[in-house]
Amino acid sequence: MSEAPLRCEGLARSFGGVKAVQGVSLALPAGAVTALVGPNGAGKTTVFNLITGNLRADEGSAFIRGRSVIGLKPWQVARLGVARSFQDLRLFTQMSVRDNVLAATERGCWFWQGGDSRARHAAAEAALDATGLTALAGERAVDLAYAERKFLSMARILAAGADIWLLDEPASGLDLSSRLRFGQLLKDARARGVAICLIEHNLDVVVDLADRIAFLDRGLVLAEGAPKDIMNDPKLAAIYFGDRSHEAAA
Amino acid sequence: MIAYFANLATLVAIFGILAVTLNFMVGYAGIFSVAHAVFFGLGAYAGAQIALTVAPDPLLACGVAALIAGVLSLCLALPALRVRGEYFVAASLGLQMVALTLFSEVKSLTGGIGGLTNIPRPRVFGVEVGVLPLALIALGLLLWAIHAMANGSFGRTLKAIRDAESAAEALGKPVAVAKALAVAFACAGAGVAGALFALHMSFVNVESFTLDQSVLVMAMVIVGGTGTLFGPLVGAVLLLSLPSALSFLTFIPPTEVGSVQQIIYGLAMTLLMVFRPAGLLGDQNKGKSHQ
Repeated sequence: MSEAPLRCEGLARSFGGVKAVQGVSLALPAGAVTALVGPNGAGKTTVFNLITGNLRADEGSAFIRGRSVIGLKPWQVARLGVARSFQDLRLFTQMSVRDNVLAATERGCWFWQGGDSRARHAAAEAALDATGLTALAGERAVDLAYAERKFLSMARILAAGADIWLLDEPASGLDLSSRLRFGQLLKDARARGVAICLIEHNLDVVVDLADRIAFLDRGLVLAEGAPKDIMNDPKLAAIYFGDRSHEAAA
Repeated sequence: MIAYFANLATLVAIFGILAVTLNFMVGYAGIFSVAHAVFFGLGAYAGAQIALTVAPDPLLACGVAALIAGVLSLCLALPALRVRGEYFVAASLGLQMVALTLFSEVKSLTGGIGGLTNIPRPRVFGVEVGVLPLALIALGLLLWAIHAMANGSFGRTLKAIRDAESAAEALGKPVAVAKALAVAFACAGAGVAGALFALHMSFVNVESFTLDQSVLVMAMVIVGGTGTLFGPLVGAVLLLSLPSALSFLTFIPPTEVGSVQQIIYGLAMTLLMVFRPAGLLGDQNKGKSHQ
C-alpha cells in the first residue's frame, strides 16, 4: 500500500491549562474517507487547525507526502494540495458565487495571475456544475440559501484542485436530498483518489461515507477502526452521548 | 471666475486621486487606514523637492513621489498589517501622528512648520503646463488600473481577503503579500496626488497633511460608496464643492460659513448612513442578506 498523503504523529496543543489535543496520530490514505468523530470539545477542529497551520502545535509532527508542514503558514499548506472547509463556511459573502469559486482556482497574489486562465475558468465552471450552482453563479454568496452556501463551500474545495480535503461538519443542517447530493460529491472525489477527512456529527452521514473512523475525546484518539466496530462500541457511544458514568465507576 | 473654477477642478481631481486610491484599500481590500494624508504628504514633499532641486518636471516629480510613498508604505505597513480591522485603524492613527511630527521637525526636507515655498510651475520639455490636465490624466489612468485590477484575479484576491481572510489563506493566498501590494499601490497613488498638489499650490506645509485631511478623504470614499469605481470621485466632488457653494450663498455671513459647513457635513453623513449606508453609488444590498 502506498504511503498516506497526509500523516500526523503525536500532535499536541494546549490552551492555558486545557489540553485540547494530546498526542493525536492519524494517517489519511488516498481514495478513502476518514471520519473524526467525538463529542463537542473533543479537539477535532483543533486537529485540522494544527495540520493546516492555523495553530502551531506544541508537540508532534505532520507530513504531507513526506514533507513536514509544522511551522508552515496556512497558505503554504494549502499550496501543498490541502483544501479545508470551515464550520461557519467563511464564504466571500459580498462576491458572486462564480467569483467565490474562481478565487479558489487562483493562487498567485500579484497584480497578474500566471498560468492558463481558460483552464481556471473551466475548473470553476465544472465545480459549479458538480455542486448544482451554475444557475446561481451571478448571485452574491450572502444571498444564497443555507444548503446552497454549504455547496458553495464544497465548490471552492472542488475548484481548488487539492487532493487532501479536510471537511469540518460539511453536512450539518442539510436535508436528506441535499445530504445525498453531498454524499455523491464525496464518493466521486474518493473514487478520484482524494484523501478525505471528515468531521461530522450526523452519524448517518458518517456510516454512509466513512471508510474509517477515529474517535476523539478530550484531545485523545480513543479508538480507530472500521465504522461498524466503532459505532457498535457501547463505551464510545456512551461518551458520544454525554454519559460518563462508566468513568466514574472505573 | 474661470481661474476659481480651474483651481477647484484641479483640487477635485487631486483629491479624486486620493479618494479612489484610498477606496482601493478600504473598499476592495478591507484595509481601513486613517493615514492616507501621510502618503499624500510624502508625495508632496518629494515632488516639491524634485521641482526645487532637480527640475520642475511633473513626470519625474510624480514618479519619485509614487516611489517614495509606495516604498515607505511597505516599510510601515508590513508590521501594521499583522493586525486586523479596528486595530489597523488604531495603528494607522498612530502612524498619522508620528508622521505629522516628523513633517514638522525634519526641516531640511520639509521646511518644518513653514513648509516649502516657491515651488516652480511644472514644465514639460521646457513648456509650462497646467496641473489640471496632468491631474485628470493621472486620475484617468488610476481609474483604469483600479477597474482592471478590481475585475481581475488581484481584485478577487483582495475581496476574498476582505470578506474572509482565513478562508482566503486556506485557498493558498498569501494574505500579507496581497495586502502589502494593495497598500503600496494605493499609497503610491496618494504620492502622485501629493506631487501634483505641491506643483499646483507652489507651497506645501504640514497643515495639508493632518488627520483632518485623512478623515476628509475617508468621508469622500464613504459618501460616494466604498468598493465602487466612481463613488469616491462623486464624494470628492461633493465634499470639495460644498464650501465653494456655501460661499455663494450671500445670506450666510462669511465668518459663519465654516460652522454651517460642519453642520451640513454632519447632517449629510448621518442621513446618508441611515438612508444609503453603502454610499451614493454603492450597492444598497451590500452587507444585507435577503433571508
